[in-house]
Amino acid sequence: MGLVSTSLPKQRRLTRPIAHFTLGTWVLLGLTILIPLIYGIYISLLDINLSSFVPPQFVGLKNYSTALQASETWSTLRITISLMILGIVIQIPCGIFLALALHKQLRGTKVFRSILITPMLLTPVAVGLTYRFMFDTDLGIINWFLGKLGIESINWLGSQTSGLIAIVIVDSWQSIPFVMLLVLAALSAIPVSLFEAATVDGAAGRQVFRLITLPLIKPTLLVVAMIKIMDFLKLFDTIFILTRGGPGNATTTLGLWTYKTGFVFLELSRAAALGVIILIITMPVYFLWRKSTRNVR
Amino acid sequence: MKKFSVGNLIAYAILFIASFASLFPLFWTFSTSIKNRVDTYVLPPKFFNFHPTMKNYTSLFKIEAFPHIYLNSIFVTAVSTILCLIFGSLAAYAFARRSTFKGRTSLDALMIAVRAIPAIVVILPIYKLTSYFGMYDSIWTLILLYAGFNVPFAIWLLTSFFQQIPIEIEEAAKVDGASNSRMFIQVILPLAAPGLVATGIFISLLAWNEFLIPVILTGENAKTLPVFVAGFISNKNLDWGPMAAAATVAMLPIVALTIFIQKWLVTGLSSGAVKD
Repeated sequence: MGLVSTSLPKQRRLTRPIAHFTLGTWVLLGLTILIPLIYGIYISLLDINLSSFVPPQFVGLKNYSTALQASETWSTLRITISLMILGIVIQIPCGIFLALALHKQLRGTKVFRSILITPMLLTPVAVGLTYRFMFDTDLGIINWFLGKLGIESINWLGSQTSGLIAIVIVDSWQSIPFVMLLVLAALSAIPVSLFEAATVDGAAGRQVFRLITLPLIKPTLLVVAMIKIMDFLKLFDTIFILTRGGPGNATTTLGLWTYKTGFVFLELSRAAALGVIILIITMPVYFLWRKSTRNVR
Repeated sequence: MKKFSVGNLIAYAILFIASFASLFPLFWTFSTSIKNRVDTYVLPPKFFNFHPTMKNYTSLFKIEAFPHIYLNSIFVTAVSTILCLIFGSLAAYAFARRSTFKGRTSLDALMIAVRAIPAIVVILPIYKLTSYFGMYDSIWTLILLYAGFNVPFAIWLLTSFFQQIPIEIEEAAKVDGASNSRMFIQVILPLAAPGLVATGIFISLLAWNEFLIPVILTGENAKTLPVFVAGFISNKNLDWGPMAAAATVAMLPIVALTIFIQKWLVTGLSSGAVKD
């Protein structure tokens, strides 16, 4: 979100200074983001362990070199990226299909839309619990249903591949509606006359999609992809509930690994360093996103 | 009625399958929450052929901390949403009505940073700070943080609502010598009331669902519903009935809200995200 058009030239006509209207927001963001970020960089240079009472020492970049040498950092980063790719490959096409189906304005579209957006609004933790018992190996409804189709029981949350797939399924259940809404908004912005002209010229449905619809919704799709990349870097609740990153660390993302380092192994400074590393990874996405949203504006 | 066509048939098929996939987990959670143990752990699964029971709910409400936790969630959600609306609408007014003002670009960049940076990055230092200042496990800490993390969304949504209000109305008031704050309070806010409601609902959903902040920053005192619900999986023996009941009470207010505010919600969500 946040791709609001913000430059309206004609509105320069109101001229009284207005910057002080943003003071409250500055205070809120300063307290919750700016100060913690700076303080986080500071503690990443110390050696704070939450279980020790020894006063922390300044250790320079030691936490960073430890983090970069640890195999977990790289394996959890790989897991994060795998989830990201799998998720985007599934969610964007599904979102497009649903948006196209809704865009046909068939009878009952409003009801369908209401039903379809519900999952994105629900508490991820509660959704995770629900899927947790639906994914149960022996008595879960998903395996029962697969059994009806002649597919053997899968130990969903017990291995890396199936665990990652389960996480993507649950995340997709909640995220596809969001993709759908954004694509739908982009579709609604395309003038109907364009489609009519193409049909008159004898273009078939698939051609219309490839030659007209797709190029016109491309900027939105880029924004969606960017948002999805950021959301997968953030993804926490669903994994925490479904697998806790297990078995072992098989489904632990970099974010969850940072959490574990800080609050399970109590290595707060090392976790802060991992946090800064995540920040650095986020940076290019952040700039790309700012750029791509400017195009949408 | 539109003409029958293969395309429409496919669209209906997609919509029906997707609707089923969207609703089934909700149905299944609810039905598990009103089943006895014997009806829960069986194959084939029982869809309708069981005697409903309220046992799971009564045992949930019997948990001593539960009402306290539910109230915590409501209070934190309500107060942080109000803070977001107050500060967010002020900032949104500036964004909507001036293409430049002091600090505009930096604030814009900072808001996007809030959206982009994974919360865990800032929660670690915040944990250290709150324990240093004695603010660990306090609902006021949660309120402040929720407001900070959600205020950018409020600003984006409200900016787009404010921009839809014709500027001529304010220019007329300006001729009469009205100050910024008078225009904001007497002209903009009343006209943007539906936008404020939609934004408030969206922000309160974010606050209601928040998990990472309270799971790290609360103990018993300020615990919120998602943390409580997540607690059901910490023990080895998963008891599906109470688990489903807890999930249901967490999701119920949301489902109820979405039914009532459908129209505003869709407008709010899509207008905040993409310029139409």
